Amino acid sequence: MLLPCVLREFSRCSTLSMHCSRVLRLQQKLQPSERGLHTRAQEFIARRMGLRWKPQTRGIKNRSNKRGSQEDEWKSKNKTVLTYIAAAGVGMIGISYASVPLYRLYCQASGLGGTAVAGHDADQVATMTPVKDRVIKISFNADTHASMQWNFRPQQSEIYVVPGETALAFYRARNPTDKPVIGISTYNVVPFDAGQYFNKIQCFCFEEQRLNPKEEVDMPVFFYIDPEFDEDPRMARVDTIVLSYTFFEAKEGQPLPPLPGYSYK
Amino acid sequence: MSTAMNFSSKAFKPRAPDKGSFPLDHFGECKGFKDTFMKCLRDNSFDNSMCRLQSKDYLQCRMDNQLMAKEPLEKLGFADLKESSPSPEDKDAKE
Repeated sequence: MLLPCVLREFSRCSTLSMHCSRVLRLQQKLQPSERGLHTRAQEFIARRMGLRWKPQTRGIKNRSNKRGSQEDEWKSKNKTVLTYIAAAGVGMIGISYASVPLYRLYCQASGLGGTAVAGHDADQVATMTPVKDRVIKISFNADTHASMQWNFRPQQSEIYVVPGETALAFYRARNPTDKPVIGISTYNVVPFDAGQYFNKIQCFCFEEQRLNPKEEVDMPVFFYIDPEFDEDPRMARVDTIVLSYTFFEAKEGQPLPPLPGYSYK
Repeated sequence: MSTAMNFSSKAFKPRAPDKGSFPLDHFGECKGFKDTFMKCLRDNSFDNSMCRLQSKDYLQCRMDNQLMAKEPLEKLGFADLKESSPSPEDKDAKE
């Protein structure tokens, strides 16, 4: 029985069959005195021929397979990582293109950047009802440009209004010079977020106003605060709004520079 | 004036008034109504709700003296102060 195994060894010099190895291992467990003549001869031959006894014949193919499969595994891993990175890059480019309309939508929804959220139709004035329990103090401020010589000041320092109610306020301007001066004004509302609810029905801004020498006029501002002001959670702590007008001099024949942010809505 | 130099996007955008600009009252035709209104404000500690009648009178004076486009009072938010029928609508050209 053992002899064919040995013969096979001679012929192929390759792995032992399982059967032989198992038999060998069994025989090796036996004491040297108990081992048979055949096994002792086998061991002698194996040692002389330098054969490597591989008791674990099962794992040989798997080990070389393991080495190859590891490389394959690395290759496939690299491929998936590269695919993910490429997808992320393409996704970034797509997001950067899509961000422009998306941001615009977001601004309109959230009212950021002063984009008008509350409706400004004239019919709203006729149908709106005042929110009586929310009193807001409007403070008035008046400025002139350094080269503008008018005396420009508000006639009341503050006024208490409620949203949904139209209110009237007055400024006074005086031309102390001896020459007619044409002025043009713009306004500002602080806090900026509240500015979108501050609706002016009529005022004296953005149009040239001419004052003759030594003339003094009253300039009214007719405005209201949108009733939706009361429902905006961001305005919950806003109790004071400052309305600030600034007068500039409009020189004859000079084209007006575009006022920043001036837009008809 | 707020410029766009702020980092935060909460920049203020001035808007044109709905009905345009008031022509200047060079001759002081409605000065009396204005004084009544200011006196009312001072007496009521600057509470606008108490002085709406006076503001209505002032705007009515402006409309009568061609210093303001004629509008029905409801459009100006004075629907609750209307006691008689409004004057016929005569839209003047806006200044």
